[in-house]
Amino acid sequence: MNAVILAPHVHLRLTRVIQIGFVAAVLLIWHLAATLGWVDNLFLATPLATARVFISTAILSEPHLAATLSSFIVALFMGVLAAMVVGFLVNLSRYSYFVFMPILVLGVAIPKVTLLPLFVLWFGIEKTTIIIFGALSAFFPMIVNVSAASQEVKPAQITLARAMGYSRIQTYRKVIFPAMLPVLTSGLFYACNAALVGVFLVELFLARSGMGAFIRDLATTFRTPELYAAIILVSLVSVVINMSLWFLARHFSSWRT
Amino acid sequence: MSRLSPAVTRTIIIVCVLIVCEIVTDYSSASRIIVAPPSEIFWQVLKIVTATSNVPHFYPNAWITIQEVLGAFAVTAIVGIGLGFAFASSKLIGDAFEPILLVLYAIPMVILFPLFVLILGIGMAPKIVFGITVGIFVVVFNTSAAVRQIDPNFTRLARSLGYGRVMTFFKVILPATAPTILAGLRLGFGYTVIGVMAAELLVVTKGLGSLIDWASFNYFTPQLYALIIITLMIGVTGNSFFSVLERRWVK
Repeated sequence: MNAVILAPHVHLRLTRVIQIGFVAAVLLIWHLAATLGWVDNLFLATPLATARVFISTAILSEPHLAATLSSFIVALFMGVLAAMVVGFLVNLSRYSYFVFMPILVLGVAIPKVTLLPLFVLWFGIEKTTIIIFGALSAFFPMIVNVSAASQEVKPAQITLARAMGYSRIQTYRKVIFPAMLPVLTSGLFYACNAALVGVFLVELFLARSGMGAFIRDLATTFRTPELYAAIILVSLVSVVINMSLWFLARHFSSWRT
Repeated sequence: MSRLSPAVTRTIIIVCVLIVCEIVTDYSSASRIIVAPPSEIFWQVLKIVTATSNVPHFYPNAWITIQEVLGAFAVTAIVGIGLGFAFASSKLIGDAFEPILLVLYAIPMVILFPLFVLILGIGMAPKIVFGITVGIFVVVFNTSAAVRQIDPNFTRLARSLGYGRVMTFFKVILPATAPTILAGLRLGFGYTVIGVMAAELLVVTKGLGSLIDWASFNYFTPQLYALIIITLMIGVTGNSFFSVLERRWVK
């Protein structure tokens, strides 16, 4: 509130300094914790040891990463598609919206992790379980956004389109879809995040292949440097996926403000 | 208007689904290991709650889970709101940490859980810490968004009316930010429950997660369904508590 106004380039440079300082501090604390024995070396590898095994671990985890990504893509696609279809049907009339929305909201509110043992019971410890749980994780954040997106379309806009002689399909293409797109893409960002979490969770819980299973095995066999390297690799991949969707969402909503 | 109210239609649909489930599980060849009729699940819920079922030590385990959730949520709320105010109070710190928070948020935290177990052991600590890391982001984001969207004229007006810093905080900033912060707390509670339950299922020691694991390991299917329903109730109860609080506040 008593802000000192800085010149923009000084502000930008200070921002970068703080960011680099933060990352350096994290690395330093990590290094000290490992070398000064705050945490046993069996459980915490130094940053250097992690960096040394990073490439070899990345090569070793390639088939697991491929398995995870293939489950993730199928899960995300299924979850988003199901949410679009159900969301479209529920929002067809105000009445069906009022009937079904509380059920869907309840589905958003419950912690779906708890259902995981049921999915194992129904679908076994196969890839099916991973994909279905990932799809379910993506479904609920997406359907909330599909509903929010259809509220974005103002009745007046549709009336105007009709008055200007647009056909039904033209109205969808030129008015309804563009109005829904920003909210839909931001829903896609949340769905993607949730699907990744869902896939990793099932893999950690029971799978025999995939990055989650790989990381679980590294942790239980105390191959600590490889474990840290694998976790950093997974984090990097996830950040790239999530951030590209985040920029996509921002790109599509930029025209609105 | 001869139409039924939405709530009535909803109830009818749910009851029909339950009846269909009941008939299908009773008269089809579906294995009783995989499905259980709703009526039996309902009786199991009652039996577990009255401690007359074969589920061992229900209340001690439930109490452990509730402690974990409440502990994790208390830290999430206090630290999250504190960090949110800190990031919003200075443009420099806010701009510097926004990308860092966004990148951290984009990492699926569940993949870090094996590390938490390695460093913190298999007691309550890793579950609480994991619940915090899953829940805190949305609280921080909502708090700093709430503080940023305060109209600067409000604080300026408060100043000119001779309010001190403390008075401005309690009379202007807090009421203006409360609805958004509450929404953040509601979402944060949901995420904390998810974090704690995921942790309990991944490392089975004590708590409701261990009971769920016990039931699925021994194929006590009705008990499994009943325990899952009871656990889901915790999340729903917390969520509706915050919804009520929000509604009252916004009014």
